[in-house]
Amino acid sequence: MSILTLKDVRKNFGVSEIIRGVSLDIKEGEKHAIIGPNGAGKSTLFHLISGRYNVTAGTINFNGAEIQNKPPYEIARLGLARSFQVTNIFPRLNVFENVRCALLWSNGYGYSFWHLLGKQTELNEKTMHVLEQIGLKDKALFPSGELAYAQQRALELGIAIASGAELVMLDEPVAGMSHSEAENAVELIRRITEGKTLIMVEHDMSIVFDVADRISVLVYGEIIATDTPENIRANPKVQEAYLGEVVTSA
Amino acid sequence: MGMIKKLSVWIGYLIVLLALPQFFDSILAISIFNQMAIAIVFSLSYNMLLGQGGMLSFGHAVYFGLGGFLAVHALILIEFETVYFSILFIPLIGGVIGLLAAIFIGSFSTRKAGTIFAMISLGIGELIAATSLIFTDFFGGEAGISGDRTFGPLFFGVDFAQDLEIYYLAAIWVFIATVFMYLFTQTPAGRMANAVRENPERAEFIGYSARRVRFISFCASGLFAGIAGGLFALNYEFITEENLNAITSGRVLLMAYIGGLGYFIGPIIGAVILTLMNSLLSNYSELWMLYLGIMFILTVMFLPRGFAGFIMMHQTAWLRGNLKQLALPYLISGIPAFLFSMTCVAMIEMMQTEEQSFSFFGMQLATDAALTWIVAITIAVAAFYATRRSLPQLRDAWESANAIPASEKTES
Ligand SMILES: Nc1ncnc2c1ncn2[C@@H]1O[C@H](COP(=O)(O)OP(=O)(O)OP(=O)(O)O)[C@@H](O)[C@H]1O
Ligand SMILES: [Mg+2]
Repeated sequence: MSILTLKDVRKNFGVSEIIRGVSLDIKEGEKHAIIGPNGAGKSTLFHLISGRYNVTAGTINFNGAEIQNKPPYEIARLGLARSFQVTNIFPRLNVFENVRCALLWSNGYGYSFWHLLGKQTELNEKTMHVLEQIGLKDKALFPSGELAYAQQRALELGIAIASGAELVMLDEPVAGMSHSEAENAVELIRRITEGKTLIMVEHDMSIVFDVADRISVLVYGEIIATDTPENIRANPKVQEAYLGEVVTSA
Repeated sequence: MGMIKKLSVWIGYLIVLLALPQFFDSILAISIFNQMAIAIVFSLSYNMLLGQGGMLSFGHAVYFGLGGFLAVHALILIEFETVYFSILFIPLIGGVIGLLAAIFIGSFSTRKAGTIFAMISLGIGELIAATSLIFTDFFGGEAGISGDRTFGPLFFGVDFAQDLEIYYLAAIWVFIATVFMYLFTQTPAGRMANAVRENPERAEFIGYSARRVRFISFCASGLFAGIAGGLFALNYEFITEENLNAITSGRVLLMAYIGGLGYFIGPIIGAVILTLMNSLLSNYSELWMLYLGIMFILTVMFLPRGFAGFIMMHQTAWLRGNLKQLALPYLISGIPAFLFSMTCVAMIEMMQTEEQSFSFFGMQLATDAALTWIVAITIAVAAFYATRRSLPQLRDAWESANAIPASEKTES
């Protein structure tokens, strides 16, 4: 069963074609990595799926609903959560509030102005649980904008996974982390997305080969291959376009 | 904060509101308290927009004014026995009108925050103010409209003819409005307003339409501004176009800003300070608006978090028990700074007055004598110099009062 299907998705910015006909089928429960050189359009593809950008052409189907050109909040409510390559948090809110806000919709609070948040024991416990998972429990009351970089990345991840969405999309979740921090983060991602679908953009090949069930290679706005890690590694087209140097050096 | 502690803050607030007239019972004091009551509700409602929701409005008086106009019309209807209900509920009428106006205007103005929102609010403000002068039957033109609050059923024999009686009525409304505005900040809608202020884009990726979140805050803000307008109608029994135009919109912005946008009590502090300045200073000087403007500029420059922020700055020193260390340095810098400001005020007033002799704090100053000016300038320069000289000491005292004791240093 596929959870997400892209059919000939295109995106132009003015005259430049950034995404040039991407078709992709993500299966329910799979861990899918998208790799490709800088500027290939990986983040743009994420933005198209999550509703930040409108598509120029093509369709995107999520769980049976057409979601292309829908606003991000409607897509999020269908069960798609994402993180950003550039940290995108609520800087003057504390860490706890950041995560709790991310939990509100999925816990059915909507735009309520008749629930007092302090009294929502279950919600607050869930929030603390997420904080524990991302290792920020003792920073709960700290202004998130003043966290160290790696901690902000952890929070970025926490906001994305908090709602327990069916499909989680992470755009370079461990970029800029030290080796041990990245290891922890990957462990966390694996644990949290268990039984869920994950799409991840990542440059670090060891992580990609470690986590992913399947890999898509995006080059110049086109997917040149989608396959298992072994086959991707062996694919001459991929090696030529992108992987060659990385595989030999790794 | 513990439940008990929170509750005692609220009870304290209620007691202060109700007890104030026991301590200051002159006609002037009561009239100032009534103005404060109105200003507190109005500026708290404004902060729902700017402080909590990140929406800079230049037209908040629209909701205050429309609420007030309808409230005066309600008083007229009660007077002519078209309707029969107690004037206790007049602020509610103002609130409903404020809410309806906000629903209508907010439906398009909250699409974006930032400059676009600010410009729309300015435009709507001008539009409504100009329109109100055209429809003279309803708005009464330049003169406004007036009513009489003493009609309708009595409340336990009280007819609200006295300002003091209105004060108690207003105090109850202020308390209720403050409680509800505070509670709003603790709800999902209120908290998401902060999130949208901080990062509207990310809010959309966690399931919230930034526009809808803004719209809800906007409506709540209109409701409470209308309640403030209703209190205004009860207190003054008349209302004019000035109460919904840019002057009033500007004043509420100043109040909230000077008080401190980042704190719930900031606008209360701002309302108290500005009402006091407005009613006391304006008795002494025609230039009080100038002083107000200077105060605003100084606040923006030196106290970007307002008076509430200034008070909260001392939390660390207070928790460490070091507040006393600051008292003397504050005096040493404060006295010359105060002297400098007062001398400047004296010179400004001497320039403005046409009299030859001018009374300043009981001193008779000859405005055209060179000696007066020489003395004033000398004092100003000396006081300025003394302030400057004392500042490094103040800074040192500040740092030592806030310093982390060696015992705590191991962490982080
Ligand atoms: N809003 C935009 N307007 C115009 N061009 C854009 C816009 N967003 C992205 N681009 C261009 O599209 C191309 C793809 O960008 P994108 O950020 O998707 O790449 P990426 O694969 O995520 O790269 P990286 O690995 O560096 O993150 C780049 O050339 C970029 O300059
Ligand atoms: Mg990218």
